[in-house]
Amino acid sequence: MMPTDTSCPPSSPSFPWKRFGADFLYVTMFNIGVALAITFLLSNGHFWRNLVAAMCIGTTAFLIIDGARLFLGRGSNKHNWPRMIVIIAVAVPLAQVLGGTLAEVLIGVRVVSVTNMFSLASSGTLMFTLLATVVATIMFTSRERLMLSEAKAARESARAEGIARQALQAQLQLLQAQIEPHMLFNTLANLQGLIALDPARAQQMLDQLIVYLRATLSSSRAEVTTLGQEFALMDAYLGLMAVRMGARLSFQLDLPQELRSAQIPPMLLQPLIENAITHGLEPKIEGGRIVVSAAARDGQLHVSVSDDGLGLDAPSAKSGTHLGLANTRDRLLAIHGEQASLALTANSSGGALAELILPLVKP
Amino acid sequence: MTLRALIAEDEPILAATLAQALQRLWPGLSIVATCPNGVDAIEKALALKPDMLFLDIKMPGRTGLEVAEELAESWQGAPFPQIVFVTAYGDYALDAFDHAAADYVTKPVNDARLAKTVERLQQRLQKKDDASDLTRMLEQMRALMPAPVASERLTLIRALVGNLVRMIPIADVVYFEATDKYVNVVTMEGEALIRTSLKELLPQLDDKLFWQIHRGTIVNATSVISAVRDEAGKLSLNLRGRQEQLRVSPLYAHLFKQM
Repeated sequence: MMPTDTSCPPSSPSFPWKRFGADFLYVTMFNIGVALAITFLLSNGHFWRNLVAAMCIGTTAFLIIDGARLFLGRGSNKHNWPRMIVIIAVAVPLAQVLGGTLAEVLIGVRVVSVTNMFSLASSGTLMFTLLATVVATIMFTSRERLMLSEAKAARESARAEGIARQALQAQLQLLQAQIEPHMLFNTLANLQGLIALDPARAQQMLDQLIVYLRATLSSSRAEVTTLGQEFALMDAYLGLMAVRMGARLSFQLDLPQELRSAQIPPMLLQPLIENAITHGLEPKIEGGRIVVSAAARDGQLHVSVSDDGLGLDAPSAKSGTHLGLANTRDRLLAIHGEQASLALTANSSGGALAELILPLVKP
Repeated sequence: MTLRALIAEDEPILAATLAQALQRLWPGLSIVATCPNGVDAIEKALALKPDMLFLDIKMPGRTGLEVAEELAESWQGAPFPQIVFVTAYGDYALDAFDHAAADYVTKPVNDARLAKTVERLQQRLQKKDDASDLTRMLEQMRALMPAPVASERLTLIRALVGNLVRMIPIADVVYFEATDKYVNVVTMEGEALIRTSLKELLPQLDDKLFWQIHRGTIVNATSVISAVRDEAGKLSLNLRGRQEQLRVSPLYAHLFKQM
């Protein structure tokens, strides 16, 4: 069996030499078969003479048909049978004449009479050529269709693989974004210090780190989580940051009891408080306060993250937050379409206010 | 005479941990101040003139590098302090420190590593070669300054003057000066404000023509007539078409050496 040529899709503009070569080989084998059949089944003439005649007529027919097919309908996956019949109807007498003439020149014996082609005497040869051509054409086209569908299947599986890889990559990126090495190392540095300075607080900080790591790892695997879980995660994160920043950070989380079970994509809020810390409060000498609150209004869930940090005009806010916000907006759009939104504005205290609105979904 | 150290670190537990480790490894050392931000560090360092500074890289107010730079500009009297940078994972490329041959320790602070730093500091402080200390420090800082990432060149400045936008060809600019939230664009004819920072502006300028000469100043080199050194050794520039002189930071003084 010839290897199927999947590297050359039907839309490729270059001439399909490989397929053409393979077909040529098959045609030659077919011609030998025809010559054998004429000689031994029909007991008509010498084998070598029949072989030359079959080769000449068969190859000419193949060249005309394949040439016409390539010229008229390259790459189309569907076979146009009426057109095929017309092509064969033209090709067979033409091959009969041209191939026959060529054979006559080669072996010096008249194979086909041009003037007398459609006469009763010649009609046997003509019918034979027609039959052989139809059989060969059906064989080739079905083989080609098989090749095409195999190529299509290969392309499809490659595409599916690509999608799976992308999804995995997205998950990996999400995971990396969550447990930032910078955050982890700084937390560990503080923990190391606290072990010597204040073992009881070190224990407490370690507990918070465990809650934070467990929550981030589990929510990065889930498609959807509850607002209660996300608030617990933010509480652990802000708790860790408050140990690190000392008196420079205070925070408040307001989550009404009835919204604890509301559903929300995981890690949607986390980047918002990270932005507030990294761009608003950490670079501010006095530090400040973060307030996170959730409310249900008109069937929609509103979550806001407000800080009294450096605000949106600060140079660090300009450079850093755009990518994080764009990622969050992309995720919102992918999950909820136009029904969800994220707005970042200046609040009355000069800091930043991030407001997230999404459909309120309760189990 | 007891040697004196200043620690600048915004995370209180890390500051206390570093202080404790230093006391453990260097019992004679006195820690005269622990500063929670860069601005405080500059103020305390200038007031207390310690022998060495431990500067966190990422701090509110000023970064550790900016503290070192500003101190180099304003330091007077006592020998310039030894500086050790303290850096967390991801704050700064560590090979940059190695490349600049700067002293640094990473957080979490490791006793063995800190002991080596202490040993080196003790050796250097015994020698007391003030002039070479400052020169070495300046070289380190020049190497540590993040090189601007080249971006598209600016050819025209669009600056707001009152309620009209003035178009200023870049070659007409004598110098750029950072103000609180704006950059002041100074030409022979006058001044105009643009809402950006020098940090954002610098990569958009041709570095052959526009030289940073100070934290807050970028000068058009073709507008400089002369550089003069005053009695205190501070360098200033005289400019074409402008009366005022521009102060050059010691960090950039090498740009005005004779050929």
